[in-house]
Amino acid sequence: MKKILASLCTIFLFSNIVTSAKAEINFLIGTWAEEPLTPFVEAFEKETGIEVNIQTFPFRDLLATIEVRGNAQADDVDVIFVDAPLVPSYAVRGMIGPMDQYFADTSVNAIFAPAGIAAASWNGEMYAPPLNNSGQLTYYNKDLLAKAGCAEPSMIEAERVTWEEIVDCAKKITDEANGVHGFIFDQISRYYQLQALPESAGGGSGVCEGGLSVKGCLTNDGWMKAGQFYYDIHNTSNISPKGVGPDQTHELFGLGKIGIFVGGSWNNGRWADTDLNYGVALHPYFEGGKVVTGCNSWHIGVWNYSKQKDDAAKLVRYLTASPEVAIHYVEEHNSLPAHNSAILHVAEDPKFNNFPGIVMNLATYESANHCATRGRTPGFLEFEEIVNTSFEDIRNGGDPASVFADAESRIESSMRRYK
Amino acid sequence: MNFFKRQWMVPYLFLAPALIGTIAFKLYPIFIGFWESLIYTSFSGGAEKRIFVWFENYQYLFDDKIFWKSLEITAFLTIIINPLQIAMSLGLALLLMRKSKFIRIIRSLYLLPIGIALPIATIIWGLMLDPNQGLINGLIGVFGIPPQPFLVSENQALWCIIAIATWKGVAFWMLFLLAGLEDIPKQYFEAAEIDGATPFQKFRYVTIPQLKRTILFVFVADTAANFVLMVPMIILTKGGPLQSTNVLIYEGYRSGFYYQDWGRSLSIVTILTVITLIVIGLQLLFLSEKNEGIKVK
Repeated sequence: MKKILASLCTIFLFSNIVTSAKAEINFLIGTWAEEPLTPFVEAFEKETGIEVNIQTFPFRDLLATIEVRGNAQADDVDVIFVDAPLVPSYAVRGMIGPMDQYFADTSVNAIFAPAGIAAASWNGEMYAPPLNNSGQLTYYNKDLLAKAGCAEPSMIEAERVTWEEIVDCAKKITDEANGVHGFIFDQISRYYQLQALPESAGGGSGVCEGGLSVKGCLTNDGWMKAGQFYYDIHNTSNISPKGVGPDQTHELFGLGKIGIFVGGSWNNGRWADTDLNYGVALHPYFEGGKVVTGCNSWHIGVWNYSKQKDDAAKLVRYLTASPEVAIHYVEEHNSLPAHNSAILHVAEDPKFNNFPGIVMNLATYESANHCATRGRTPGFLEFEEIVNTSFEDIRNGGDPASVFADAESRIESSMRRYK
Repeated sequence: MNFFKRQWMVPYLFLAPALIGTIAFKLYPIFIGFWESLIYTSFSGGAEKRIFVWFENYQYLFDDKIFWKSLEITAFLTIIINPLQIAMSLGLALLLMRKSKFIRIIRSLYLLPIGIALPIATIIWGLMLDPNQGLINGLIGVFGIPPQPFLVSENQALWCIIAIATWKGVAFWMLFLLAGLEDIPKQYFEAAEIDGATPFQKFRYVTIPQLKRTILFVFVADTAANFVLMVPMIILTKGGPLQSTNVLIYEGYRSGFYYQDWGRSLSIVTILTVITLIVIGLQLLFLSEKNEGIKVK
């Protein structure tokens, strides 16, 4: 009996030694990234012998999970997905650590586009290198535009469509009785996409200089004009439907129920192989205003409380600095690259000069030339949540002036923690 | 052996597991929540600092109109939803007390909502209340009623949530009332009938007094449950439109999990705990029976 027990103990100890010899890192990502990243994570595991445990979460849950683990200073997380504008917030609160030392043997400028490096950095240090980038365009249903007698918006800079022209055309298309609307935003009531409105109207990002205040920056004329525009398209001209969430907008356009859709390059993959007769054009702007589009995307960072930071950093570098990963994202997921090699790939491959591939070329152009970096503030999490809610309230009939005034006072109150 | 002679310890030993559980999982978290509500976390200068600020978080809260609006919505929800759910539960329980060949099947059907998790029920109701493609607008359209905005309307969203929570909760609370009704001796009703009592009089003078303890329990438990109702807000409305469904518990949740302002979040939760205790205390004070049973000397 004693012998059996001794043997069992030996086997148990031995198995523990074997198990602990193999490094394992936990990687928190968004559900949407599981499919594109898994083959590369598996290749990384083979190459390094480090086991990667991928944990996926929907967008909001991912952010909430990161916050909860951060508050607990949990050491069971090693690598996290970082939404570009949250880099300062995570950096200031010590949730992610600087990455410069892990790229010391190379030049980050040679790997990533400048906008990607800027979004990845805070106070002169790079915290979370970019996995990809994003760009916004105007998609339109050719049949609905022709039926309404509208001219098709253009891909040429000098003929860029204005918001005023979009509204005029959308009014002609809208046929509420048959569930057809003239216009819709891809990411309804989300700051990421709607920031382009106040920026174009001269209102800025909403965050004041220094990133620690919003006083007067959310209630200026540009933001009022943007708020009124958003109110009108949902409540006055009714060219955009209410009660539709960001997950449904591309489906409505795909079903031919929307005339004009302003959204990200990734949508192209959803319609390119369907019968939908659609075209693409540059992003709209306000007549006489600035040309601005949404940009930046997801980055990857090393969890500051991880006990395996070196292994974690190897994974971050493998996924962000590999041209193969960036090109795969371009080819398979219509995602804009932040990696210089993939940007060059888009510029040189002839298939990106013709429709539908040209979507990548146009989006790269928009992102490179008209990118509106989201407000840089350590309080971005609170800022974005409150601004998103404000846009949704305006969409549901709230007065833009009072909604933005409320938002400003609320954000200002939450910002006191960073001052 | 001495141990078993100390009979006074026996009840405490029986109570111990429940007491330990209550202290560990109820009182201790409440204390921690209160303590943390006195702490202010600052990231000034790029480093996290935890500062004990006494009641400063509460002071900020009392100056915040969002908090007062949330309190107002919570009060409105409480005043409407609790009596509504109890009245409907009681009505349903009385209906299901009626003798019928199929009563067991009918009772089972009414219990179905209990088997559906609240998040799933909320998602299904959300789809049905969709202003563009929802089933409910299709149904009311048959009667010539124009499509309603439901969850995207400042004036209708809270009522929709009341309807969803009531649909889900009524069957559950009905179970207790049904058990209470089953416990009322039949002789009381027979005696009332012999005295010529009408159905309403039987309900007023026999059913209600006999059911008072059960109703009190249901009232207290239902009130406590509805004070922390936030699943429909998380899934469907996010406290909107225009804060019309932003109840205190959701504002507390949002302050903590979305804005990372734990001092504010836990101040709200502490205030909600105090309000819940006061309301339940008042319910016990006004609804409990003064003379319980017959005192035997």
